[in-house]
Order: sequence, then structure tokens, then C-alpha cells
Amino acid sequence: MDLATLTELLSATLRIAAPLMFAALGGLLSERAGTFAVGIEGMMLAGAFGGALAVFATGSTAAGLAVSLLAGMALALVVALATTRFRADQMVTGLAVNILSLGLTSFLLRGLFGGRTPVIRLPTLPAWPVPLLSDIPLLGPVLFRQPLLVYAAFLLTIPVALFLAKTRTGLMLRAVGENPEAAFAVGTDPQRVRVAAILVGGAFAGLGGAVLSLQEVGTFTDGMTNGRGFIALAAIIVGRWNPFGAMAGCLLFGAVAALESRIQGWGLPVSSYVVQMVPYLVALALLAGIGRSARMPGAIGVPFVRH
Amino acid sequence: MFDALRPERARTPRARIAATLCAAAVATLTLTGAALAQKAAFLFPGSINDQSWNAQGYLGAEKLKSLGWQISYSENVGAADMVDALRDYARQGNNVVIGHTGRFVSAAERVGPDFPKTLFLVGSGSKGAAPNVTSIDYDNTQFGYLMGVLAARMSKTGKIGSVNSLEGIPNVTAQVGAFRLGAKSVRPDIEVKVIYIKSMEDAAEAKEATLSLIAGGADFISGKLNAAQSGIIQAAKEKNVYANGRSYGHTEIAPDNVLTNIVEKWADMYTAAAEASKTTDMGGKYILYGFNTPGSTGAELSYGEGQAYNKVVPKAVVDELDGLKKKFASGELKISVTKEDARGGI
Repeated sequence: MDLATLTELLSATLRIAAPLMFAALGGLLSERAGTFAVGIEGMMLAGAFGGALAVFATGSTAAGLAVSLLAGMALALVVALATTRFRADQMVTGLAVNILSLGLTSFLLRGLFGGRTPVIRLPTLPAWPVPLLSDIPLLGPVLFRQPLLVYAAFLLTIPVALFLAKTRTGLMLRAVGENPEAAFAVGTDPQRVRVAAILVGGAFAGLGGAVLSLQEVGTFTDGMTNGRGFIALAAIIVGRWNPFGAMAGCLLFGAVAALESRIQGWGLPVSSYVVQMVPYLVALALLAGIGRSARMPGAIGVPFVRH
Repeated sequence: MFDALRPERARTPRARIAATLCAAAVATLTLTGAALAQKAAFLFPGSINDQSWNAQGYLGAEKLKSLGWQISYSENVGAADMVDALRDYARQGNNVVIGHTGRFVSAAERVGPDFPKTLFLVGSGSKGAAPNVTSIDYDNTQFGYLMGVLAARMSKTGKIGSVNSLEGIPNVTAQVGAFRLGAKSVRPDIEVKVIYIKSMEDAAEAKEATLSLIAGGADFISGKLNAAQSGIIQAAKEKNVYANGRSYGHTEIAPDNVLTNIVEKWADMYTAAAEASKTTDMGGKYILYGFNTPGSTGAELSYGEGQAYNKVVPKAVVDELDGLKKKFASGELKISVTKEDARGGI
């Protein structure tokens, strides 16, 4: 494999991992506070939709990002209310939100345009080379010649990790996810912490969707997230609920997906269907291996009841 | 489940069928003794407002109506309702019942024997499954071949690619395999690389696959995808290479990079098949419309309204393609494709 091929492969890995990163970091916050993040797939889709619609209407990328963030949050609010206020089952709520998002986005897409499928065409976010750094061989093109949201996705890992590990609020959030009764005993309201974590998580997932619609393809199509939220969930588990671990998980899945089309290019006598299974086989293998020994947040999935 | 969310489509196929049944009964009573018009029913898997697959099929209903056919139709017919919907429309005495997706084949196979006088047409099906069940499609080999020739002529690097999904589905094999054969026919040394992705609808996945082909040196990318086709076009635009689309919308995304589109003409195909059924037995066939069939060419190469190719395509290449179309029309040129021709990779 020559340098150009390697550069291109790694570069694609980062691009493919970026939407997963946003979703994984968002889901991680929600799960560390004690709520399963099954609904991030739907939140991503809502973000992809809201972002595309906003850029279409205003022409402003900033507006698009803001709306995608809010759209993810709006669905997160549904999860937050259902799982805290009404103590609904977190898995069922998450799945319901995914289905709701799929139906609602395609309904709104047609409804808002009077039943005709609108022609949403947006300029995609271009690569944004960092001066000087982008000229370093290999590392430059891979790390510093990417579109804006790729940088954002990976840089976001640092504040999230610092927040969880070093801040008082982060400690509180983790405490709520491990033992909400104890957190409550020292004066924290676990419900509020969980709602906040779910909402911020939804906002991140919404941005993940925006990577797809605004940066990758420049339009919205029905169900365009196509299971990426679930891959992000797997990355959280593979990364043992640690932000940098989740990043490694996302990069791994990104690399496998990037390899997928290149492996076919080698012309191996293997069915394309087998090659297409590889990312999911890798996910399963990792979950069975690493995932088994991972310890999930102690109180995840358990509604907090004030006694 | 989502249909209930769409107010303008809230009528279920069954409600629509019931209403049409009443109308049909009244019509039958009033028309007793008079010559009955030919009747055709359309069943669509989605909404006729989708500006894409279903909208194209609905144009067929409108065209038949303008030719004096009595038309009824149902939208959003899910897999579970296909048998009942076909049966209901056949029972109403429709001469032709059209299912607008290949997925109707097995349902039509089940219903067909009960209604021997009704012709069941399945759009994009791949076999004539019963004496009165017929599949129609456009001849993917002809259009794939033309695209291969165009790609080989326009490529500067000597490398071209194609991004597709659903490896092994007959119409995919036909188009992809013919693309490879067409390219090799004019440039035997050209490298044709084919990638199959998971989804016909995932534009981001298609874009990444396309970028990997371009990184490998390909400078013309073809493909047969649905919503994901726009991912091919977007990648071609960003890297400034050539591609072909499937609608004028794709030309609009990248007017400099799209050389032409394979625009399918379902209205013509359904009309041709239905009109022919008046005089001949059209049952039990697998009809491929192309340059050599009367009534419809099945599809056309079109860059925009009244323009077949992007203006960057040299006259010599246009003439060569026109010559091939004539050879297809006369039957002089016939392409047969094997699975090996449509293989993934080089």
C-alpha cells in the first residue's frame, strides 16, 4: 500500500467516523447519567433533516447547525420526559423515538412542501485545510485537510472527557448514573441531571446528523442515517463508556467501512454481501470480546424513584 | 404505520378500493348494453407525489386515461396488502392490473390463476410468472452498454467505476455487466471497477464508495442507485470527474460533471404494453423495452429538456452512441451479460 492510498484510506476513515463521533459522545453523556441512548439514531435523523431544511430556507450553515442541534434536542426531550417524569422503559422509548423520527421527517418533508418532494440541494461543507499543518506528509492531509465538522467531532472529545473526569458537575453526572439515591442524599436532583444529560446528548446526535446532510451529501433523503446511530451505540460499549474509548471505537468502525469499498476494489472472489457484513461482524466480535468485560454505569436503565 | 401521518393519503388502499368498487358498480349499471371502455388499475408501493419512482409510474396512469382507458389506482400498497389489492381490482373487471414494483411478482403469481381474463403487469419485475402475469422493464443492457462506451470515450485516466447495490438482482446485473462490456468494447485495456454498497438509498455511503474509486484514478463513475445516486453525483462534483445520473435533478446538482442521465419512461412502457394487450395476448412474458421494441424505447439518455448529452461530449462520441442505438434498433447488436461481467472489483 503506497502513501497516497494510505492517506486516502485514513482520511476516509475520519470522515466516516465523524458523524458516529458526535452521536457516540452524545449517547455516552446520556448513558453515564443512567439513561440508555437507544434513541440517538432517531435524533441523528432529526438533526440531518432540521439542518438541511434550515440551510435550504436561510442559506446559512450556522443556522443549519443550530437547527440540527435543536432538532436532536427536541426528540431528546421526548425521551427525557418519558423516562424520567413517566418512568417509561428506556429501550422501548428509544426505539419509539427512532420510529417516530423516521416517520415524522419524511412526513414533514412532504407536508411542508405541499405533498411534492422538494428539491433540497445544498452546497456541501468544503475541506478546510489548516495552514502549515496541512502540508505535513501523511498526517497533514489526514488530520488537517478535512471539512469543519470532522475537526469539531474529534475536538469535542476533549471537553467531554475533561467534563466527566475533572469537573464537579461531571462527577455529579457520573454519580447519578452509578447510584442516584446516593447522589440524591447529598443534594443532587437525579431527574434534572438525567434530563440535562439526555438533552445535551440529543444536541450532539443532531450535529452528527448534520454531518451527513450538510457536509457529506448536501440534501436530505428518507432514513439517511441508515443505522449509524446503532453503530455509535456499539462504539460507546466498545469504548467502555469512556470518551476516548468511544473515539477509538468510532475510528475502528470508520476504518472498517472505508476498507469495505476498497476491499471490493481488489477484486477478491468474495461476494459483496460478505464484504458488506464486515463492519457488523467486527462490531459483534468486539462486543462479545471487549464488551463482555465492560461494566456499564451501575444505575443505567433504572428509573429514579424518590422515596 | 406512517401512512396514517399523511393526511392527504389517509385513505387506505382498501377504502379506496371500496369506493372504486361502488363507482364501478354504478358505471356498470349505466353502461349496460353500451361498449365498455378498457379498464386499467395501478397499484403503487409509495406515494404518487414522490417525484421519483411512483410519480413516474403515475404518469402511465395519466397517459392511459388520455387514450380513453378507465383508470383507478391505489397508493402506498404495502407488501402485506399486495395480494388483496390485486384480487380486488381484478374482481372489478379491470382488463389490466399494474403493480409498479418488482415486488408484485409473487403476489401476481398467486392471484393470476383465479382471474385468467385479467392481464397482470409488473413494472421492473424479472419474469413472466404465469400465463397472464407479465413483467416489464427497460432494457438495462442497452443503456448500461451505451454508458460504458460513453465512459470509456470520456475517460482520460483509462479507469472508470460504477457504484451499485443489490448484487445479483437481474436488472442490476444487466446494467452493470453491460457497462463493463460496453467500455471494454471500445477500449479493451480500460480498467472498470465495480463496488456494491449496502443500500440503494444511503447517499453518504455511495459518496464514500465513489470517492474511493476516484482516489484509485477513476474519472467516470456510473451507477444504478435510488436516493443514493446523488452521493455519486456529489462526489463527482467535489473531485471534478464525470458521472451519469438518473434524472434531471442530478444534472442540476453537478451540471459540469453529469454527462447524461438514464431517464426511465414508465408511462410509455405501461401504455405500450396495455395498448398491445387489446389485440395480442401479452401474458406470461418478460418484456424488455429498448431501442428495438415498438411503442417505447423504455428509457432515454437525456441531460436536460431537449438535450441528450452534456456539451463537453464531442460530436464524434455522440455519433458513435447514435450509431449504437441504431444497431440496437435493427437488432444487429444484442448484448448478453453474465454474472461475471457484473462482478465487484476490477
